Formats: sequence, structure tokens, C-alpha cells
Amino acid sequence: MEGPDEIIHQSTRLRIAATLNALPSGELLEFGKLKSILGATDGNMATHLGALEKAGYIAVEKDFVGKKPRTRVSLTRAGRKAFERHVAYLRDLLNGGG
Amino acid sequence: MNVTREEAAKALDDINRASDRVVQLKGYHHGAPHFIIWGLVWLGANSATYFIPGSDKYAWPAALAFGFVASMIAGILQSRKWPRGRHASAAERRFGYRMGMTAAVVMAFIVCITLIAQPSTSREINAMISIIFPFLYIAGGIWAGWRLLAIGLVTAAAIMIGFYWLPDHFDLWMGLFGGGSLIAGGIWLRTA
Repeated sequence: MEGPDEIIHQSTRLRIAATLNALPSGELLEFGKLKSILGATDGNMATHLGALEKAGYIAVEKDFVGKKPRTRVSLTRAGRKAFERHVAYLRDLLNGGG
Repeated sequence: MNVTREEAAKALDDINRASDRVVQLKGYHHGAPHFIIWGLVWLGANSATYFIPGSDKYAWPAALAFGFVASMIAGILQSRKWPRGRHASAAERRFGYRMGMTAAVVMAFIVCITLIAQPSTSREINAMISIIFPFLYIAGGIWAGWRLLAIGLVTAAAIMIGFYWLPDHFDLWMGLFGGGSLIAGGIWLRTA
């Protein structure tokens, strides 16, 4: 059995990955919407999104809608695979595989 | 890094909750334009019936035709946003078709119940048909989320209040509060 993914396992990052994984592949979610779904603060979100982006698990897109800046994130293919592997690890552990 | 079975169970629970929340939000966003469209149908047809006596014969068919066509276009536009080829997307497209078939079943039910009950006044017909929808929202809200339930409760209350306490201005009441509550509800679902 493969070990846990240390980047994804952290609670907030796990919930970020789970939320983005529930969207169709490549669909972007606005930073504010993600923050409200998770009930997290701006600072907390920025830290964890930074960690996930550094690992190549999420893609961050910044643009403007009119004059208003907009930040959107999506799960990359590597992120989706890492998330699926980590969920499989957790299930194996619960089913007595660990 | 060691993960205990308790931590694994909690992590899986967090994952399920996050996924459920996304499904709920997508349901709200898919439903929102349809609430706004049918709110406009209600508002337009009832207002026309109230302000232009005798106009109900053409106002309702025209408004219903607008509602069905606009809802269909909104459904097609939504289904085009879902990329093909993934299991989840195929499931979402099936959801769209099932919604269409459910609407047809509800329409058949309305026709049958109207033939059986044979309401004698236009106020009774309007109230009897209109009251079916908020109760569908309430029942759907029990499964899909409290916002849908709240829209159903407010709309059902508006219909009952208008029917018993404002019989002379019932059509206007239905347009403003029945249609208005659906439009406001649709906007509210979009902001979720």
C-alpha cells in the first residue's frame, strides 16, 4: 500500500482538493466561492493554496472582470491523481490494509 | 508520516462533506435560472390577467410557451458547460434529461388533478395549480438543501394568504408575491 500524501493530508488542503475534485476536469472555482465553501480565512486559504500550487496539484489563474481582480483555481491532472491515490490509501487503512 | 484509522475516518468524512457541498451548490446554480424564468411567467401572466380583463385566454398560453422555451434554452446552455467524456459529466447530462421528463410528469399530474377536482373559478384554478409547485420545492428542499425548502415555504404561504384574504386582487398578488418570490429565490440560489 502506498503511503499518505503529506501535502494533501493536511485538513484544509484535503478539503480544498476534495472540493475541486468534485468539479468537472479543468473547471475553475473562484477564490471567494472556495473560501466560503470551506469557511476559511483569506490568509489561511492563501497559505494552503500556495502549498498545493508549489506541489503542482492546483493551477491558479488571475485575471480581471472589468476593473475587479479575480482569482480562480482548478485541480491539475497531477493533483487529481494525487488526491485519488490519497483517498485510496485512507480507504485501505480503514479496511485494515494498514 | 503516520495516519491513524481515526484520522483516516475523519479525513474521508471531510472529503464526503466537501463533495456533497459542491453537488448542492451546483444544484442551486442549475436551478436558479429556471426559478427566475418561471417567476417571470407567473409575474407576467398574472399581472396581465389582473390589469387587462379577458386577457387570460392568450396571456397564459403565451407565458407558458415562453417559460418552456426559455427553460429548454437554459438547460441546453447549462449542459454545454459540462465537458463530455467524464463519468460525472455524463451523469449531469442525464440529470438534465430526467429534469425535463419530471416536468412532463408534473404537467400530466396537473391536467389529471384539474379534470378530477374541476375547480369552478379562475381563482381556484390558479391557486390549485400554483400551490403544487411550492410543495414540490419543499419536498425537494428536504433532499437538496434548505434554500429550496425556504423558497417553497414562502411561496406556499403567499398563495394561501392571497387565496383567503385577497380574493379580489388574487391575480395581482400571485404575480407580485408568487412570481416575485420565485425571481428572488432564483437570485438567492445564484448567490449561494
